[in-house]
Amino acid sequence: MYLSEDDVRAIATYTRIALDGDELRAMCRDLNQIIESLRPITEYDLAGVAPTFHPIAGLSNVMRDDQPLPGLERQAVLDNAPESLDGQFRIPPILGDEGGDR
Amino acid sequence: MGQLTLSEYRQLSVADIRDGIAARQFLAADVVEAALTAVEALDCQVHSFLEVTGEAARQAAAHIDQALAAETAAQPAGLGTLAGVPIAFKDNMNLEGSHTTCASRILENYHSLYTATCVARSLEAGGLSLGKLNMDEFAFGSSTETSAFGCTFNPWDLERVPGGSSGGPAAAVAAGIVTVSLGSDTGGSIRQPASFCGVVGFKPTYGLVSRYGVVAFGSSLDQVGPLGRSVADVAAVMDAIGGRDPLDCTSQHLDVKFVAKELLEAGVQGMRIGYVPDFLELDGLTGEVKRACEAAMANLEALGAQLVPVELPNAKAALAAYYVIGPCEAFSNLSRFDSVRYGYCAEAAANLGQQYEQSRAQGFGPEVIRRVMLGSYLLSAGVYDTYYYPAQQVRTLITADYARAFECCEALITPTSPRTAFRFGEIADPTSMYLSDIFTLPINIAGNGGLSLPVGMGDETGLPVGVQIIGPQFKDDQIFRVAAALEAVYAGQGSVSLAPLESILAKTGGDVQ
Repeated sequence: MYLSEDDVRAIATYTRIALDGDELRAMCRDLNQIIESLRPITEYDLAGVAPTFHPIAGLSNVMRDDQPLPGLERQAVLDNAPESLDGQFRIPPILGDEGGDR
Repeated sequence: MGQLTLSEYRQLSVADIRDGIAARQFLAADVVEAALTAVEALDCQVHSFLEVTGEAARQAAAHIDQALAAETAAQPAGLGTLAGVPIAFKDNMNLEGSHTTCASRILENYHSLYTATCVARSLEAGGLSLGKLNMDEFAFGSSTETSAFGCTFNPWDLERVPGGSSGGPAAAVAAGIVTVSLGSDTGGSIRQPASFCGVVGFKPTYGLVSRYGVVAFGSSLDQVGPLGRSVADVAAVMDAIGGRDPLDCTSQHLDVKFVAKELLEAGVQGMRIGYVPDFLELDGLTGEVKRACEAAMANLEALGAQLVPVELPNAKAALAAYYVIGPCEAFSNLSRFDSVRYGYCAEAAANLGQQYEQSRAQGFGPEVIRRVMLGSYLLSAGVYDTYYYPAQQVRTLITADYARAFECCEALITPTSPRTAFRFGEIADPTSMYLSDIFTLPINIAGNGGLSLPVGMGDETGLPVGVQIIGPQFKDDQIFRVAAALEAVYAGQGSVSLAPLESILAKTGGDVQ
């Protein structure tokens, strides 16, 4: 066991995913099984091996010219939002429990 | 000049279509109508499409026909590489005027506000966009069973999966609904479905195709590539979509024309082609796939290539490294789905925190939630040093393995998938599903290009088998040289990538949705 149900609950909170009791238990079982399958990584002798964070080493980044370009239309962007108001994204209150009647 | 029948249309290659239109044998409008007939007649069985953009395709066809009608000697119509070619896109690629859902409830109503570079270049080359294709949700999967909008069915046997995550792109091509398609590949997501559906699928070297406008999964692993029914068709799409893009800082220019005769007709005489003896003894590799791969190796030898055994001693750690790096990058990339700026939003949450938590729980499917949570855990303090950092060190060893192997050969051949297409629900356990990608994911870690080529039917299941040709980084032309030579052998044996109409129109026997 790598993770307890309490650990999984903490991860769910951190990743902002609401899971109920059954879902938490299933996720706990799955995650422990997957983490066990990752064990080969922990058994390698890697002393002195540099990490590779990017698969193609030694190439330079491609950058666009530093020129202003038009961005997306504000209204088109807001049309994709679940809720907007006065040209802005609308969200429920950040604090408290009063947001149910938007 | 005239209409194309469904069977005529399904047989056409990229060059057939382009040349047929140029020679006025048929109009682009005839091609698009035939394609839409194919969607209508066949996709009710295959379910490869999530959205059909018929009007956009008709307009693009009309544009080509008008240009040809107005053509004069002084002003040629200038047909692009993909002129009149029906193409469709995995639904993680933005196309203005369509939805981009990633086969997820969380993006069900998302409208693309701009067009991905790979899609735009396909259309600029004259491709006719038929629409958007099914996939595993956010590309997490190897069977397309995790799509929130239902499964895609393998055109060779409707009771089996098409592979994944680019199951829609592979099935649409194998069914003859489109000529070519674009997929994305993070651990095998183009090559494994290509092998399951008997088509050609190519993952270029990391950087050869821009990812701008493609929804990110694992940013150090993702690459876009084409699927088609021949090496030449896939090469034509590569010529259209490849190259530097100022909007993707990892994109690179490669000075190669993939459709060039000098490349596709060069043959393999004198080439050294490596194989990995350990791979052929791997647990889980089925006998029929092993035999098909060995037959392909023998064919290459008969064509004058020299087979060279090579070792990839660290490849056995690739699966674990992949399932560390992939989920960590996915966790980061999927944090953008916040229910505020776009995407699904749960009703009546009491505060913003609850809105995030409920929207993500209801909008993401179980495999997405598993990978996001796994990534979060693996990147947490203390755990990072146990898994993530060592996985990136292992990546150095795997990359060095390939570089060393390519000191004594110009290309490698391996099986693409350990087995042929499996039945719906047959692999239910996530860790077993992950084994589907054992031969494909090491090169996503190392960055090299790889192509899956169909090499006939398995002698036990009677289903398509693919072999994978891998090249050194940025020497993807060598892959095409080998693949084209090998393809010619199988074409001579009557092997085709087009699933027969009778298998597509067969009644489904299972009770899958």
